Amino acid sequence: MTLFMNYFLQNAGYIWMQCVRHFLISFYGVMIACIVCIPLGIYLARRIKLSTIFISLANILQTIPSLALLSILMIFLGLGVNTVIATVFFYSLLPILKNTITAIREVDTNLIDVAKGMGMTNQQILFKVELPLSLSIIMAGIRNAIVIAIGVTAIGTFIGAGGLGDIISRGINVTNGSVIIWAGALPTAFMAVMLDYLLSVIEKKLLVFIHH
Amino acid sequence: MVRKISKYLMLLLLITGCSFPGLGKNVSENGIVIASGNTTERQILSEIVSQMIMHYIPSANTSLINNLGSTLLIVQSLEKEYANISGAMYTGTSLTGELGLASTTDPKEAMKGVVEGYANQYDSIWFPSYGFENTYAFMVTKDIADKYQLINVSDLEKVKDKIRVGVDNAWIKRQGDGYEQFKTIYGFELEHINSMEIGLVYNAVYANKMDVVLGYSTDGRIASYDLVLLVDDKKLFPPYETSPVVTKKILRIYPELETILLKLEGEISSGQMQELNRQSDDEHLEPYTVAKNFLEENNYFESKNVVPLVDRTLYKALIQDVLPLVKEKQ
Amino acid sequence: MFNYLSELGVIVFDKMAEHLFIASIALVMGIVVALPIAILLANKKKLAQFAISICTILQTIPSLALLAIMVPLFGIGILPAVIALFIYSLLPILRNTVLGMRSIDPSLIDAAKGMGMSEKQIIIQVQMSLALPVIMAGIRLSAVYVIGWTTLASFIGAGGIGDLIFSGLANFDIPLIILGTLSVTTMALFVDLMLGKLEKRLAPRTSSKKIGGMSNG
Repeated sequence: MTLFMNYFLQNAGYIWMQCVRHFLISFYGVMIACIVCIPLGIYLARRIKLSTIFISLANILQTIPSLALLSILMIFLGLGVNTVIATVFFYSLLPILKNTITAIREVDTNLIDVAKGMGMTNQQILFKVELPLSLSIIMAGIRNAIVIAIGVTAIGTFIGAGGLGDIISRGINVTNGSVIIWAGALPTAFMAVMLDYLLSVIEKKLLVFIHH
Repeated sequence: MVRKISKYLMLLLLITGCSFPGLGKNVSENGIVIASGNTTERQILSEIVSQMIMHYIPSANTSLINNLGSTLLIVQSLEKEYANISGAMYTGTSLTGELGLASTTDPKEAMKGVVEGYANQYDSIWFPSYGFENTYAFMVTKDIADKYQLINVSDLEKVKDKIRVGVDNAWIKRQGDGYEQFKTIYGFELEHINSMEIGLVYNAVYANKMDVVLGYSTDGRIASYDLVLLVDDKKLFPPYETSPVVTKKILRIYPELETILLKLEGEISSGQMQELNRQSDDEHLEPYTVAKNFLEENNYFESKNVVPLVDRTLYKALIQDVLPLVKEKQ
Repeated sequence: MFNYLSELGVIVFDKMAEHLFIASIALVMGIVVALPIAILLANKKKLAQFAISICTILQTIPSLALLAIMVPLFGIGILPAVIALFIYSLLPILRNTVLGMRSIDPSLIDAAKGMGMSEKQIIIQVQMSLALPVIMAGIRLSAVYVIGWTTLASFIGAGGIGDLIFSGLANFDIPLIILGTLSVTTMALFVDLMLGKLEKRLAPRTSSKKIGGMSNG
């Protein structure tokens, strides 16, 4: 325990740097997936056949083990951080796309009819009715994606991307590296659990916001 | 629809070509990217190079590709332009490895071989050595050394059928200075030879699971386990000097890199490297922290003056195509 | 050339066998532990919720981190890998079993009570048999994820297909990387497909909702 605290204090700057880097890599991947998937999901929501194709494609993608997808993408995109961001992007597709489609579909059609009756344009319906009502479910998808992303980013160390995975893999390579392993693994686990919790709070807030 | 999908694919290609705030720049945007390995020594040296560059060129947005599994992968990352600097390359490994040249026991000749080879084959400058040699060495515990009266590698002959020998996986099949060459030069075979990961040999000999192991001479565990290195009396192993390697392309963009890296020339002795490795392996300081402490102690070599490469006979001809641009910039 | 290919074939086959071995031990352990717990807790709402939340938190821990944490505790090799994979396999099975058993129409349970069935009989003959497809869906999900995660187990010395991928990554050996990823992905998709078929076959005439789930890579 004292060893652990020692390691932590002596290398605090470095661990913090890797934490930030780890978060940023995950965040960028999920953010790009949001930019792509939310509009795509809105477009697909009313096109049942097409959306089934997309969802099953994303489902297959999800079945590919992360190390495998990362290595395959490495062949095309090279070593380093961008390949990890691309991998995170691919794993974020399913949760965000699926939740966006479901959310938009589940908006009460009566409400849309009312909105139409009030003379709202399609665009107004989307931004003032459909999207606000879907926010909570879409957020749940993003939350899921972020948790997956933190895990994928940890593996990114194997193609040289940095992040907390660097600390973990050094701990494994060094003799008697238990302390280093803990120092890398605990923040990684903590980051995933904390983000999951924080986003669940936001998710609930969004739900409340709709009901008022 | 097809147009839409292709638009998204374009976007994906775009993101791989650009860089994100906080994560350093890519090679394609003239960023300085350092390829680092998965050994403690490579990581420390790469961190030293990285922090030196950050200190002198803060605007350059330096980043590291860490944990690359082999010299081969580091060479690939330079060749495919994922990185433009390697923090630590070893003359012996590269000479017989990717350059495919004959091995030599003359350090000067080895250095000349890699410097010229890298300039011609990889359009890169192999810098002068950090000042320490890292070579394969047979090592034993003090007890074993006393028990069998071991000083030189040739002393192993008299106990060749008794001792358990642990060696690096790669060494058995290695060209130039591998086991085949060992048999030719020393003239005997080792009866009980076991191959394992290089990182495990030190513990194996310390824990008495092996009597003699082949490891790297600068590993920090030699000091902490109090191991004795056997003298390579018949000169099997070529001297592995260690240097940074920089692509000419990035040298043209940041000519200051030359001075910065030359400040490190000859500044790390074998004993010092062992100590730095030990801090990281034993005291569990991160390579980043070890490098930072080392550079701060030496004040980033700010007052050190260097002899430019163009004034050295070995480099004079090779650096010509970098120089004119340097002058234009000035 | 042929020799090289056949040698490689043997290696791939060996690694696949190793991979499936590790994954199946973990999965079987997961079923043996999670299923009885879920059945016992299914009718105790609060306790079941508690067990599910704990498993959800465990599931949130990134796989590399959990595998790494096993090293100081259990050393390297197959044992720590199996324990980590076992922990991951718990949640989908536990959650699906609890939800599956709970989603059964209460009127059916009342009818069973009316027929004079004991609580034990109701659990086994009514709740479990009706929930079987949902439970199966949980096992299927676990199986697919465990096969995926086993790839990483190579990192702590457990072997499996991950060996091929890691070795490919270290030496920039592109054919080896492709071979490794193809074999592990095929394995995951194949198991998914087969268990999916089994799941459909188990479906009784009454419709029951399929409960999916996601997890980190």
